Amino acid sequence: MTEAEYPQVRIVPERLLFPITVERLLTAIVATGGVRRMSLNGPRLPAVVPYGPARGVENPHYARRKIRVGDQDVLLEVQVGTVVLELEDASYIPRIREACESVFTEFPFTIQEGRFMKTRMTVTDYAKYGPDMDKDLLGLTEPGKKGRLIIIQGGK
Amino acid sequence: MAYKPQFGPGTSSVAENRRKQMNPGYKLKKMRDISDEEVVLLMGHRAPGAAYPTAHPPLAEAGEPKCPVRKLVTPLDGAKAGDRVRYIQFADSMWFAPCHPYLRSYLEAIRYRGVDPGTLSGRQIVECRERDLEKIAKELVESEIFDAGRTGIRGATVHGHSLRLDENGMMFDMLARYVYDPKAKTVKYVKNQIGEPLDKPIDVGKSGDDKWLKANTTIFNSNGGVAFRSDTEYVEWVQRVHSLRTKYGFMPME
Repeated sequence: MTEAEYPQVRIVPERLLFPITVERLLTAIVATGGVRRMSLNGPRLPAVVPYGPARGVENPHYARRKIRVGDQDVLLEVQVGTVVLELEDASYIPRIREACESVFTEFPFTIQEGRFMKTRMTVTDYAKYGPDMDKDLLGLTEPGKKGRLIIIQGGK
Repeated sequence: MAYKPQFGPGTSSVAENRRKQMNPGYKLKKMRDISDEEVVLLMGHRAPGAAYPTAHPPLAEAGEPKCPVRKLVTPLDGAKAGDRVRYIQFADSMWFAPCHPYLRSYLEAIRYRGVDPGTLSGRQIVECRERDLEKIAKELVESEIFDAGRTGIRGATVHGHSLRLDENGMMFDMLARYVYDPKAKTVKYVKNQIGEPLDKPIDVGKSGDDKWLKANTTIFNSNGGVAFRSDTEYVEWVQRVHSLRTKYGFMPME
């Protein structure tokens, strides 16, 4: 049986985003109600200095902050540069665009449609999650990530 | 006729800025004031006011061998005193930073004595005897080749030169060594170049606006700036050098 393919979009703003903007964007996106899965990408913001003479020193960063999305607190561990979404169906895309337009007023952005999350298990996924890996985790995980996924309820 | 160095080809503003910065006859404009103490704090090699740690005894006491080259070359103050060799490192955003790593190395090698500049893809390091380095670093940070938002003083964890800017137009820094002060509209360093917190922030002034940065950048950028291909003289010379280097491998003639 062929598995259902859900449409995916990638939101690429011209600037790297501050947590407050991410919070506004995600709140607007979650309110559209058609998001199945979401991934935030960008350069990493480590909690401690990762290398150099100051290795291990605490690294306070203005962009590493907790934001509130839906009913959940989300700790941003990256400075958000792109947002990848998997939607229930393509009819939500115009609403996602409207949500972006309401938030990105100071600089432009693009919304791309395509496949942005991986569809097959990699060796790392196999080693980490085993042969019965939950398919919904595919594309939302990365090898070094220790934290768990965040489930935002009440989208509908 | 006396030889007059040309420093580089090109008819564009980018080419002109490159020539200008490499020319030791051109005095780099001073854009901001940073105190000697602040430079020492930014680099983080020693505490301000502390004695310079030494790597060897002062040359006067060292009993140097008789050597004609040593007679010819006057040592730097730091070398005379036996200072350690220390560094300052810069990262320049490809979004119209007023200088870039290769050019930094050229201009430092041309303008200063006793320095060891090194270029990497997104960063540029310059090494020198500590007390001389402090003078050079002060000049570099105060001058027009440093921009508060598009240039970073980064000893380690330099990632960011090729990333998009943040919402304030600042280059990404994983360690947030500098922050934008929205009230004063200036940039303040809150950590030294390796990421250790400073006791008090160091104000490095305002970042240049887009118009100034695009007029003063030394980086070709077809995305909003001067495209490399638009400077035909530059392209011609780069192709000529590339062609001759390739051909010389087989036959030393054009």
